Amino acid sequence: MEFEWDAEYADFRRELRAFIQDRRTPELLAEYAATYGSGGPLIGAFHRELDERGWMRMCWPVENGGEGRNLLYQYIFVEEMEYYGMPYGNLTYTSIAPSIVAFGSDAQKAEWLPGIYRGEYCFAIGYSEPNAGTDLASLRTRAELDGDEYVINGQKIWTSLADVSTHIWLAVRTDPDARKHAGVSIIVVPTDTPGVTIRPLYTMYGGHTCETFYDDVRVPAANVVGGVNQGWGIVMHALNHERVGLAAVGALARLYDQLVAHLRDRRPEKLEDPVARRRLAELELDIREHRALALRNAWIISRGGTPIAEASMAKISGTELRTRIANVSMDLLGREGGLSVDSGAAAPYEGRAEFNFRLSPIFRFGGGTNEVQRDIVAAAGLGLARG
Amino acid sequence: MDLELTETQLLLQEAVRSYLEREVPYDRIREQEKAGTSDAVLWKGIVDQGWLGLLFSEENGGAGGSLVDVGLVVEEIARRAAIVPILEVAAVGHVLERCGEDVSDLLAAIQAGEAVPVPAVWEGAGSEGAPSVAVRDGVLRGEKHFVDYGQSATHHVVAALDGLYVVDARTPEVTTTPLRSIGRTPLCHVRYEGVPARRVAGLEASALLVRLGRSLSAVQIVGGLQQALDMTVEYVKVRKQFGVAIGSFQAVRHHAANMAIRVASTRLLAYETLDAIDRGVASDAQAALAKASASRAAPEVTMLAHQLHGGNGVIEENDLYFYTLRAKEQSLAWGSFDECMAVVAGQVHVEPDWF
Ligand SMILES: Cc1cc2nc3c(=O)[nH]c(=O)nc-3n(C[C@H](O)[C@H](O)[C@H](O)COP(=O)(O)OP(=O)(O)OC[C@H]3O[C@@H](n4cnc5c(N)ncnc54)[C@H](O)[C@@H]3O)c2cc1C
Repeated sequence: MEFEWDAEYADFRRELRAFIQDRRTPELLAEYAATYGSGGPLIGAFHRELDERGWMRMCWPVENGGEGRNLLYQYIFVEEMEYYGMPYGNLTYTSIAPSIVAFGSDAQKAEWLPGIYRGEYCFAIGYSEPNAGTDLASLRTRAELDGDEYVINGQKIWTSLADVSTHIWLAVRTDPDARKHAGVSIIVVPTDTPGVTIRPLYTMYGGHTCETFYDDVRVPAANVVGGVNQGWGIVMHALNHERVGLAAVGALARLYDQLVAHLRDRRPEKLEDPVARRRLAELELDIREHRALALRNAWIISRGGTPIAEASMAKISGTELRTRIANVSMDLLGREGGLSVDSGAAAPYEGRAEFNFRLSPIFRFGGGTNEVQRDIVAAAGLGLARG
Repeated sequence: MDLELTETQLLLQEAVRSYLEREVPYDRIREQEKAGTSDAVLWKGIVDQGWLGLLFSEENGGAGGSLVDVGLVVEEIARRAAIVPILEVAAVGHVLERCGEDVSDLLAAIQAGEAVPVPAVWEGAGSEGAPSVAVRDGVLRGEKHFVDYGQSATHHVVAALDGLYVVDARTPEVTTTPLRSIGRTPLCHVRYEGVPARRVAGLEASALLVRLGRSLSAVQIVGGLQQALDMTVEYVKVRKQFGVAIGSFQAVRHHAANMAIRVASTRLLAYETLDAIDRGVASDAQAALAKASASRAAPEVTMLAHQLHGGNGVIEENDLYFYTLRAKEQSLAWGSFDECMAVVAGQVHVEPDWF
């Protein structure tokens, strides 16, 4: 075993960090906070700058416009961006683009990838349905071939960003007679196609997600990704990428550092209190344990492997830790810990702990619920047969 | 000993619950959350129903209820997530009835709905430390932080250096600055710039106020957690995945069972403490312990409720968020888990008298 980063990675982290510090303006952060991932003009400009440096697609294959770099660069990139609370592209970039690279036809890559890395395309993800959550393979949104078009009918829920997206990455049933996993396809639906209806769903953390309805929506058959009825494998591949993002350490480390900085600047007596210090020490322990799992997960991927139990472990530890850090921070701060950003200067570090408490539930059941992840650890990691 | 509610208490609980279900629509609560206001219509209803009378003896025009009775009302109101200063008025009312000097006018005004006094206790960023606010020549100056419902109250009962004082909160010498926080209930910072203050009780009353505030806060948390548990149990019975109710999966059942264990233990400690206060035998540590239990249970139970509700639990159309957010706010009020455990730790028994 050998834990030291090779020099080129350390250099990259330094270069990236200096760049972030330079571009991290209050205006950009405000736009990011106000748009909950849907983006805005400043974020768009920032993404173009990132892309000019090659960083948005450095780990893609060279033939798809990337640099074919080791995936650990991507890991470092996400860690730093998350730590500094910078927008680095939503799931379009972290989950959909790698799936297009892996499964898309040459024509599809040429059509969609440049739009993604230029920040012009946003893909909403349409897997979940009202009755197909954990049991995703039971999805019922139907796509029927009519000439060289598919006609889509059905309903999705939690199609986040659909209202600001250019495309929807839609999981549909193309063969109703096949076993449930076998009859699913991925088809890309331009969001402005007639028959697509979008309704917002407002959430307890302030942002919103969407319900989407499909009423005789006609899409070229050429928009099917990776072959008809081949969708399940693609969904699993994309979800794996999504999970790596969910396990990111940066945001958690940042919550910790902001808590300590607030105590140091505004409540120094707390840092004298051995009990409070012990609580901080436990958080540090939690974060370091989680970082170890997240890094191992990324390392396995970077070596060409497919982490299964390891990915689930990191997903569980990171998502549960987000709740714990937010909660412990608020408990340590006492009543001021509950103040939200609307309280202005009275709120400790812009109410980030309070916000993360409200936000944290979605990570524990999103991207594959933690109950299912524990089953995966038991089955794939420990070889325990299901009852 | 009787670890269950009496027949009369069950009737009271049922009466309060059905009244609130009938009279307090959730949409009205959503509007009040946005506006940052409290529910004046419900407060009038509470007055008309005579529930405030439970706080006071018959000599003071009340119905002579026990603190457990009062706790039941507080719990049910929390269970409906209604936005009224019931805990605040109950805490102040009980303390004034018990320790107040010459306060019968105020007690009558509370029961008539003319006075809505709330406690103003804490001065720091958290809920700890002794008050430093002083009264000289009948005039009070200073600041209080985190006063729940301070902006709509008629009076503040201020914890000062030497005891409790009542001030009229509607006078220009009292300025309130509203704060927005996780619970979405009215909260403010208050400045008292030379407001006439009437002394109503000594330091033992201030200590009682904190003990009672903590215990009622625990009961309030229990109300919200019970509702989150009940909603979750109903949900996992009807939500189907893989062709069966998710309540049939062992992982789901264990989460629900863990929620129930927390709610049950916290409920017993909270009511035991209220009863001990009534009997005059509660220590500061006992009240802090009950509150610590509830404060710890609050995020645990509500986060499990979210885990079992999946996506449906986080949208504002669903009522679950009321309980998640209120319970976390309440877990910080009157002392967070850490603040309350510090009180318990300060009085750790070397040889505790367990039984
Ligand atoms: C804000 C938000 C954004 C989202 N964004 C997207 C998006 O962009 N695209 C998209 O497609 N989806 C999205 N989702 C959906 C998300 O992926 C689902 O919420 C998730 O898959 C869980 O499904 P569910 O909500 O239906 O919960 P359910 O499947 O109903 O699960 C409820 C509970 O039952 C448990 N359970 C279910 N089955 C089992 C079992 N067999 N064994 C043990 N326990 C079980 C679960 O673990 C969970 O605790 C989003 C959700 C939210 C809230």
